[in-house]
Amino acid sequence: MSKIGVFVCHCGENISATVDCAKVAETAAGYDGVVYSIDYKYMCSDPGQSLIKSAIIEKGLTGVVVASCSPRMHEPTFRKACAEAGLNPYMCEMANLREHCSWVHEKGDATTEKAIDLVRILVEKVKKNHSLNAIKVPVTKTALVIGGGIAGIQASLDIANSGHKVILIERDPSIGGHMSQLSETFPTLDCSQCILTPRMVEVAQHENITLYTYAELESLEGFVGNFKAKIRRKSKSLDEKICTGCGQCTTKCPVKKIPSEFNEGLGKRTAIYVPFPQAVPNKPVIDRVNCTYYIKGKCKVCEIVCPTKAIRFDQEDTIVEAEVGAIVVATGFTVKQPDFFPEYGFGKYPDVITGLQFERLASASGPTLGEIRRPSDGKVPEKIVFIACAGSRDPAKGIPYCSKICCMYIAKHAMLYQHKVHGGKSYVFYMDIRAGGKMYEEFVRRAIEDDGVNYIRGRVSRIYEKNGKLIVKGADTLLGAMPVDIDADMVVLATAGIANEGSEELAQKLHTSYDSYHFFSEAHPKLKPVETNTAGIFLAGACQSPKDIPESVAMASGAAVKVACLFSQDELTREPLIAVVNRQAAPVFSSCVGCFLCVSACPYQAIEKEEIKNRTGEVIKTIAKVNPGLCQGCGTCVAFCRTKSIDIQGYTHEEMYSEVMALLNEY
Amino acid sequence: MDELRKRAKELLESKTISVVIGYEEGTCNRTRALFVEKPEEASKLIFDSRCVLNLATYITKQEVKAKGKMAIAATIPVMRSIIQLAYEFQVSDKNLLVLGITPESNLMEFKDLLEVETYIHKFEIEINASYREKLDKLAGMTQTERWKFWIDELSPCFKCYACRAACPMCYCHRCTVDFNQPQWIPVPSHELGNLEWHIMRAVHLMGRCIDCDGCANACPLGIPINLLNKRLLEDAKRHFGGYQPVLKGDHLMSTFKPDDKENFIR
Amino acid sequence: MADFEPKIVAFVCNWCTYAGADLTGTSRIKYATNVRIIRFPCTGRIDYMLLLKAFDEGADGIIVSGCHPNDCHYTSGNFHARRRWIMFRELCDFVGIDINRVLFSWVSAAEGSKWADVVNTTVTRIRELGPYTEYQKVAKHPIREVTNG
Ligand SMILES: Cc1cc2nc3c(=O)[nH]c(=O)nc-3n(C[C@H](O)[C@H](O)[C@H](O)COP(=O)(O)OP(=O)(O)OC[C@H]3O[C@@H](n4cnc5c(N)ncnc54)[C@H](O)[C@@H]3O)c2cc1C
Ligand code: SF4
Ligand code: SF4
Repeated sequence: MSKIGVFVCHCGENISATVDCAKVAETAAGYDGVVYSIDYKYMCSDPGQSLIKSAIIEKGLTGVVVASCSPRMHEPTFRKACAEAGLNPYMCEMANLREHCSWVHEKGDATTEKAIDLVRILVEKVKKNHSLNAIKVPVTKTALVIGGGIAGIQASLDIANSGHKVILIERDPSIGGHMSQLSETFPTLDCSQCILTPRMVEVAQHENITLYTYAELESLEGFVGNFKAKIRRKSKSLDEKICTGCGQCTTKCPVKKIPSEFNEGLGKRTAIYVPFPQAVPNKPVIDRVNCTYYIKGKCKVCEIVCPTKAIRFDQEDTIVEAEVGAIVVATGFTVKQPDFFPEYGFGKYPDVITGLQFERLASASGPTLGEIRRPSDGKVPEKIVFIACAGSRDPAKGIPYCSKICCMYIAKHAMLYQHKVHGGKSYVFYMDIRAGGKMYEEFVRRAIEDDGVNYIRGRVSRIYEKNGKLIVKGADTLLGAMPVDIDADMVVLATAGIANEGSEELAQKLHTSYDSYHFFSEAHPKLKPVETNTAGIFLAGACQSPKDIPESVAMASGAAVKVACLFSQDELTREPLIAVVNRQAAPVFSSCVGCFLCVSACPYQAIEKEEIKNRTGEVIKTIAKVNPGLCQGCGTCVAFCRTKSIDIQGYTHEEMYSEVMALLNEY
Repeated sequence: MDELRKRAKELLESKTISVVIGYEEGTCNRTRALFVEKPEEASKLIFDSRCVLNLATYITKQEVKAKGKMAIAATIPVMRSIIQLAYEFQVSDKNLLVLGITPESNLMEFKDLLEVETYIHKFEIEINASYREKLDKLAGMTQTERWKFWIDELSPCFKCYACRAACPMCYCHRCTVDFNQPQWIPVPSHELGNLEWHIMRAVHLMGRCIDCDGCANACPLGIPINLLNKRLLEDAKRHFGGYQPVLKGDHLMSTFKPDDKENFIR
Repeated sequence: MADFEPKIVAFVCNWCTYAGADLTGTSRIKYATNVRIIRFPCTGRIDYMLLLKAFDEGADGIIVSGCHPNDCHYTSGNFHARRRWIMFRELCDFVGIDINRVLFSWVSAAEGSKWADVVNTTVTRIRELGPYTEYQKVAKHPIREVTNG
């Protein structure tokens, strides 16, 4: 016989302002099986919890219903309190009187009636609940970090330094990400390469880090603590163990006119190439799409010149299988190509470039060795225009959100220009200046006040060429939308930061979610910024939304701590809310008939076959079995199974059925 | 069907097969299932247009399976059921030999189920004209008229479960209708329980029913319950391009396409 | 029918719609009181039999709601659910169940106002349709009253 306790919370006045809490408690007291029912100001407070605990002990409660806020808020709190008083935590349920009732309805009988119904549903459910025990699973103490930008690098180093193994995979031939392309960095103007390269080298040399460049995640199975990753190492056409990185091949390769990705198309590279001089690892790869040998079957110059005979034309992709306990996604972002703005003439006029291209021009290791020269004729531009929000905050043509980093890097670009081109004139067209951050506003002010950058608040409507100049037609909204025409030599567009290509597929492989802009979704916008909805998978850096380096690094360290926390235990406890296939007495053994149609319904491949054998070892029946490690508890199989042989703990047939019955049948 | 008798006799004599499932002459000019275990009884086997009972129903029965390897005289609907049952791991080449009967009533023995699969895929599952007409008529009714139609049709059902017994796909050891914790379907026979029972059965047969009409033929009250399945067959075709029993591959209801189209979800 | 208060049951998933309805609360958006939410882990868990049971027991309308396609916490529970709903809805329509009384929706954890809207729309619709007496008449069959106590 059930002995249920009902605890109605006022939540200060959050609930009691519209719900008659005393009446709810009183009504609940009359339900079959309810032996104790009370209302109280704050159930989640210490005295509130004590109230529940002592009732459990004194009244010998077999089930508890706390009618308060959303279970998504306090379910763990109350379940823990129950456990402390000796009641199985899964015998505690919460009726959501706040978010689903008091906050959304006006004061009145109907609101109180709804509250009463909500309590009754859960009283009936809890009567059918079963005690459940947490599931323990072992933890593989190796982390997989996906993406070797600054975020991935930082996360890998932090995890490795806490004593755990890390596998870092990077899609490109070198780690470094966007940061390696930057010239100087705001707000301090220190050289990006100078601060980044030492960390890249540290990654390569760290004894706890295995680095796979030119590699991508092929597939992922498993669950927190016990993932099985398949990593595709794309063929580099090179035996890395033998290659010394001498560079003979890259100098001799006859295909020299391929636009360099690293230099954003402003420089050229060969078919066998190292993306940039400081690359880690500093060993080349053959770009098979452009290599003459792969196209025409002839050439092999690199093979001939290689002193160590490291070239492998017939090398194939390899798949590495790795068991990992946690995953950090740090795949970063990309910039939207500005061709969707035809009026700015990107692609048509070579001197209309993107911010990243400007970084390459300003970089000492870039195609112009750090001199600002126009791509068209190599002249030093005397007048330069920077356009902010080229695509950002533009729901019509671009993206609705603010890319966050552009205001700052534009100020940086203008400043670098003023430092490099004496007597040059620079203009910035902007919508608002967003310079929140330590020393950020000061940085922008420096650009305006010390370096004389002209900031014009307004949009540019069109850019066209006239007499060798780029005519930038804009308006100054601070001067009553007065038209402003600037005859510039070069224009830099601060193009929107968007989710990386393939982030959607990656999210699907990882079984984690992404937002409408295809950035990875955090588990909670405020309180769980580095977690995802999938246990054991964390986020770092710009893959979650555009962010600058300090933020990316902070997030990476945050993710690393989460991983280290996970790895500090030998076993994990998981919620037992998973599916089970019923077992019955012989000769039926289970109502499962082994049709295995449920197997393909399970999103996690958690359903296996189990053979029931007799004493002589002969198989008498083959039925379905849910792997408790893999099952995530969605219940898709439950609703699917014809014979109702699978049930999901915590949401059983009986429990859900009684909820419906309780709701509609008044007492 | 001398061919069939001859072959059955051979198979039993050589002991490659322990039981041949076929039809024999019954009472009142009807035919019924026959289980031949002795070679000399093979002569009782018959086949003609009256043989519509779906014999695949028997191959999942423990009592029949226990006899050893089975051979079955199978018309196209029976073969379809067999393939679906094989897909659901209920039968396999190990325990079943298919003695196919073509639409021209010729014997066509299959080496294995793979051959059976290939053969049945030559024929589409098609709803015949008279049923078409009934479906169209129902589709033309208002919702309330349809409700009334079904409540009237189903009210005499007394849950004898003849439909379930005749259906090769209803091989579950414990049918959900017999489930009492919770009691999904009310025990007594009344309109609602009957309706729920038949809705449930129709759902369970989504993507599995091969349109043999066994259920409707078995119903002692002549309730056209097969209309439900026929309609779902059409719906499956309309929404998802239809289905055919296969030995391997996707099952209509336990897979999905990310771009499955609907027009009712807000 | 002025004082008809529709009884509406909502079957929702924990991760999107339940959370979305929480957000409606945190945003203090007001909506009609007629709906009672029953929480499921995923739309994939929502059993069609429960919809029938809800009508049996006197619901005038039903809301079924979960994560948008591609957003399922379990990646594909909602895709499976969608397929089932497509077929089940056809079947219900064919047997003459009033499918206008079942509203299916995708409400994400961020769509607090959409949830309020879904509820209000359903309540208005059911008010217009009136109580589901057609079904309830059959459900309240005397034999049942006797045997089910
Ligand atoms: C023009 C411009 C100027 C900027 N200037 C500054 C500045 O001055 N100061 C500042 O603080 N910030 C600046 N930023 C921002 C800075 O670039 C980012 O904050 C930083 O790069 C984010 O690092 P990340 O590691 O998250 O992403 P990324 O740098 O984008 O690195 C992601 C890495 O993951 C890899 N990857 C992607 N997908 C996969 C996959 N599927 N599998 C494996 N690997 C994958 C990529 O190849 C890449 O190496 C600037 C940005 C731009 C566009
Ligand atoms: S659990 Fe259900 S669906 Fe799965 S194999 Fe068993 S009977 Fe079939
Ligand atoms: S509840 Fe069923 S379908 Fe969902 S993960 Fe578990 S076994 Fe798979």
